[in-house]
Amino acid sequence: MVDPILILVSVMLLGFAVLVLLPRQGLLARLKAAKEAAQREKIEDILKFMLDRQQEGRFASTESLAGVLGIRSKELLKLRVVMEAQGLVRTEGNALALTPAGEQLALQIVRAHRLWERYLATEARLPLEKVHREAHRLEHRISVVQVNELDAALGYPQHDPHGDPIPNQSGEFPSEQMGKPLTAWPQGIPGRVVHLEDEPTLAYEQILAEGLKLGQNLRVLEVTPERYVLTDGENEYRLAPAVAANIFLVPLPEPSDMAKDVIPLVALKDGQQAEIVNIDEACQGFTRRRFLDLGLTPGAVISPELTNFFGDPRAYRVRGVLIALRQDQAGMVQVRPVQQQ
Amino acid sequence: MSSSPCETCPANAHLAQMGLKIDKYDRIVALAGNPNTGKSTLFNSLTGLNQHTGNWPGKTVTRAEGGYEFNGIRYKLVDLPGTYSLLSASQDEEVARNFILFGQPDCVVVVTDATALERNLNLVLQVMEITHRVVVAVNLMDEARRKGLEVDVRSLSRDLGVPAIPITARTGEGVQTLLTTIEEVISEKIQTKPLRASGTVEFRQAVEELSGMITGLIPNIPNARWLAIRLLDGDARVEQALLNGELADLVANQRQSDLRLSSKTALAGNQ
Amino acid sequence: MATLSDQNLTPQDVLARAQALRPRLGAAFRDEIVKSLYGEAERIARRAVHRLEDKKWDLDQRIDRIVTSPVWGLPIMLLLLAGVFWITIVGSNIPSQMLANAFFWLEGVLAGLFTNWGVPWWITGFLWHGVYRGLAWVVSVMLPPMAIFFPLFTILEDLGYLPRVAFNLDFLFKRAGAHGKQALTMAMGFGCNAAGVVATRVIDSPRERLIAILTNNFVPCNGRFPTLIMLATVFVAAAFPPVVASFVAAGSVLAVVLIGVFFTLLVSWALSRTFLKGEASAFTLELPPYRRPNVGRILYTSFIDRTIFVLLRAMQTAAPAGAVIWMLGNIYVGGASLANHIANFLDPFGLLLGLDGVILLAYIIAIPANEIVVPTMLMVYMGTGMMTDLPGLDMLRTLLVGQHDWTLLTAINLMLFSLLHNPCATTILTIYKETRSAKWAAASVIITLGLAFLVTFTTASFARLLGWV
Repeated sequence: MVDPILILVSVMLLGFAVLVLLPRQGLLARLKAAKEAAQREKIEDILKFMLDRQQEGRFASTESLAGVLGIRSKELLKLRVVMEAQGLVRTEGNALALTPAGEQLALQIVRAHRLWERYLATEARLPLEKVHREAHRLEHRISVVQVNELDAALGYPQHDPHGDPIPNQSGEFPSEQMGKPLTAWPQGIPGRVVHLEDEPTLAYEQILAEGLKLGQNLRVLEVTPERYVLTDGENEYRLAPAVAANIFLVPLPEPSDMAKDVIPLVALKDGQQAEIVNIDEACQGFTRRRFLDLGLTPGAVISPELTNFFGDPRAYRVRGVLIALRQDQAGMVQVRPVQQQ
Repeated sequence: MSSSPCETCPANAHLAQMGLKIDKYDRIVALAGNPNTGKSTLFNSLTGLNQHTGNWPGKTVTRAEGGYEFNGIRYKLVDLPGTYSLLSASQDEEVARNFILFGQPDCVVVVTDATALERNLNLVLQVMEITHRVVVAVNLMDEARRKGLEVDVRSLSRDLGVPAIPITARTGEGVQTLLTTIEEVISEKIQTKPLRASGTVEFRQAVEELSGMITGLIPNIPNARWLAIRLLDGDARVEQALLNGELADLVANQRQSDLRLSSKTALAGNQ
Repeated sequence: MATLSDQNLTPQDVLARAQALRPRLGAAFRDEIVKSLYGEAERIARRAVHRLEDKKWDLDQRIDRIVTSPVWGLPIMLLLLAGVFWITIVGSNIPSQMLANAFFWLEGVLAGLFTNWGVPWWITGFLWHGVYRGLAWVVSVMLPPMAIFFPLFTILEDLGYLPRVAFNLDFLFKRAGAHGKQALTMAMGFGCNAAGVVATRVIDSPRERLIAILTNNFVPCNGRFPTLIMLATVFVAAAFPPVVASFVAAGSVLAVVLIGVFFTLLVSWALSRTFLKGEASAFTLELPPYRRPNVGRILYTSFIDRTIFVLLRAMQTAAPAGAVIWMLGNIYVGGASLANHIANFLDPFGLLLGLDGVILLAYIIAIPANEIVVPTMLMVYMGTGMMTDLPGLDMLRTLLVGQHDWTLLTAINLMLFSLLHNPCATTILTIYKETRSAKWAAASVIITLGLAFLVTFTTASFARLLGWV
C-alpha cells in the first residue's frame, strides 16, 4: 500500500516545482523578467542623464552618474559593460559618451517621458506635481510604436506641461526660443513664462502652489538675497532665489495694442458683452479642444448671463447658446469688452 | 439644386415604421447632430421606437438603430450620439466619427437646431468634409418662430451646397419632404456640392499637397481633403486606417455598393 | 508636389510628409481649423437667419433668471423636489390600499378554492401565501408611487430643468473633486441606479466618471423609494396630526434624499483625494432652451417603458424570493423555522445597527432586487405569526411596533440603511460592464455597505447612549 500522505506530499511538491519552473509564468521566469526590466530601466535612466549632459556640452563621468542616479559604482561597472556590449556607449578618456544608437534610445526615452507627462496632465488630469514621477514609471514600459500612437493621439504636441520641447519621431526638437532663468532676468521688464523646471520636485511644488503657470506674463519687482518678488499685474509672488532659478522667461512678443483692454472672462459683469481674444497657453488638451468646439474661438462674442447661488459656475451666451463654465476655466479665456450701442 | 417642395413628392409617398426589423434593408441613413437638437425625437417618429428623449445634453450615449420604409425602400436608421464636433476624440465623438467614416452610411442627416444655427453649422461643415451625401434637417422650426427667428433654408442650401429641409420633428412637419430628399440625395437625383472651409494660406497649401498624395495612394477616395487635415492635426485612428489598408478597402467596398445601388434604382424605375 | 506622379507611394510616405509639414503650420493648428470652421458657420448663419422682432429678453431667459438665481435657485429646487414627493405620497396612498385589499381578497378566495379541491396544504401555501403574496406586495406597494413619480419626474426632465439643477449644484461637486454633470446622472438614478450608471457616460473624464459611478447608489432608486415612503408615512408622519402628516412624510423623504446627496459629496470628496486623485476636467454644460413637454407621450412612455418594465423585473425576482421566504418560514428544524434560525443568528448583529435579524435577512434575500425588501421583511414577520388579516398601513404599524418591538430608531436606521446599502445585482453588473473591472464593481459594494454599517451603528449607539431607546 502507498501511504496517502506520501502521494499528497509528492503531488504538492510537483505542483510547487511547476509553479517555480514554468517557462513563462513560473516564479523563476518572472523573477528573471523583473530583474531584466529593472536593469533596462537603470540603463535607460543613465542614457537619459548622459543625453542631458551632452546637450549642455559635457560628458558624464562615472562619479556623476553614481551620484545623481544613486547607483552603486560596482553595479555601474556592470551596467557599463552591458551598455558597451549593446553598442550604446563608448569610453572617451575618463568619461562615457553616447554612441549614435545610444543617443537615439535616449531621445526615445525623453520623447516617451514628455509625451506621457503631456498625456497625464492634459488628458488624464493628474495633478501637475504627480505627473513627473508617474511619467518616469511609464516611460520604460512603452514601445516605439506605442509612443508614436500616443504622439498622434495627443495631436503632436510640441511641449510637455513644463514647457520642455518634445522631440519628434526622428529625434529632432522643435525650434524655439530658449528662455532665461528668472534670476538672470532684468528687473522691471515683463517676460513670458516658457518653462518651469520640474526638478527638484520640492521647488516645482512650490512654484505650482504659488499658482505660477506657463504663458503667464511676469515682472520682477524686487530682488533681495533672500527672495524675489514678482507680479503678473494682479497678484504678487514671493520666491526664494533657488526656486526662482527654475522659472524661465522669454521677452514678450511685442508690446502691441493687442493686449490692451484684455481681461479674463471671469471679470465680465452679467450682461456685459465681449469679444474673445484667445485661450491661455496653459489651457491645453481636452479642455482646450472642448472650448474651441463649443465655439469659444477668437472673435466670438460672449456675454455672461446667469450666476448661481455660489457664484460659480456662471452661464455664458455664446453663438446663441447658453453654456456654463467654472470660474477657474473661464479665467483661461481672455476677452476684450465691446461697446454696446 | 434646392430643397424639393412637396408638390414634387410622389403621390404614393408612404412611410411605414419598422421598429427593430432591420435585418433586411436597402439603405443606411445616419442621424448626426449636436446634443439636444431632437435627433432622438426624429428617430422615434420615423422608426416607431421609444428611444428615451429628455431635455439634457448627452442622453443618447450609444448609437441606436431602427428601421423605416419609405416609398417601398427599406432604410436602416442609425441614431448617433450627439456631438458638438468630430475633432475632440471624446468617446461619443469617436462613435459618431467612426460610423460616418467606416460605417459607410448612404446618407448622413445632420439634425440642427434652428434657434442656434451658427453653433450647429460647425458640425455640418465637418460632416460635409467626410461625405458629400449630406442632408441638413433644420429642426425645431416651431421654437425658432416662437423666438421670432426666421430661417431662410434656400440661402442655407445654397451656401452649404447640400439640401437643407425645415422640419419640426415633434409634430412631423416637413418630415415627408426630408425623406424624399434623403432618397434623392442617395439616388443622386440631387447633386450636392459641399462647401469646404478654406483657412490660412499655409493651411491650404499643406492640405492640398497631402490630399494629393492620398489620392495618389488611394485613387477615387472621396474625402482625401478631410483625411489630410486629420493627418496634419494628429489622429491615431486615421493613421492606423491608412497604414493597415482599411481606407483603401472602404473605397473598394463603396464602389461596389454604388454599383449595386444603381442597378437597384434602375430596377425600381422600371416597375 | 513632385510626389503626385510617384507610383510607388506608400502609406508611410504620406505619414512622413504629414510629419514634415506639421511644424510649418504651428502649434495652434487645431485652433486655426476650428476658427475657420466657425468663421464659415458665422457667415452662413448670418445670411440665413433673420430676427423678425427684437425681443430683449425672451421667456426662457426670464425663467432662467429665476430658477438659477442666487436667491431663489436652491429654494425652488428643494420645493420642486418636495412637491414631487408630496404628490407621490398623497396620490399613491389610496390606490395602494385598494390594490392591497383586492389582491389579498383574491388570495383568500383562491387559497380557499385550493383547499376545497383537496390540494395538499404545502402546495397551496407555497403558491398563494408564498409566491402570490410576494407578487401582490410588490405590485400594491410599488405600482402607485411609480406611476405617479415617473411621469412627474419625466416632465421636469423634458422641460429642461435638470441641467439647471446641475448648474445650481456644480460648485458643491467641484469642491468634492467631481463633475457637475454628476447631478444629471444622480437624477437618472432616481429612476434606476443601473440607468444612472450608464448615464455617467456624459462625463468625459474617466476619473470623474468613476466617481459618479461609485456614488450613484446613494440616490434612492424606485426600488427603494416605496420603502422610504412607507416608513416615512407609517412611522415618522404618524407621530404628527393628520393635517400635516403628508407634508411631514414628504419632508422626511426629502431629508433622506438630501442625506444621500451629502454622502454622495462626501464619498466623492474622499475618493478624489485618495484613490482617484486628479485635477478637474473641462466643465462645459450646455443649458438647453426649455421645451414644452409632450404630456401624452410622457404618460405613455413612463408607464410602458419604466413602470411596467421595472415592475416586471421586480416581479421576476419577487416570485422566486416569495417562494424562498415561504420555504424558510415553513421548514422547521428543531422546533423553529429556518427563517427564525437565521434571523436569530443575525439578531445581535442587527441590534448593534439599530435594526434586527429579520431586516438583515430581508436585505440578504433581496440582493437581486431592492424592491422586495419590505415585502420580504413583512413575510418573515408574518410567517412567524401566520397573520391572515389584510395588512393595511395601520395594521403594519401594529404588527411592527406591537409585535416586533420596532422603534423610531428602527425606522430611521432602516431608512438610512436602505439609502446607503449595497447596489442591487443589476446595478453591480452594470458597474462591472461600464468600468470593465471587477475591482471597481467590488469597490462599489464595499464602500456602500461599509458606510451603511458605519452610519447605522453610529446612530444606534448615539441613540442608546443618550437614552432615547
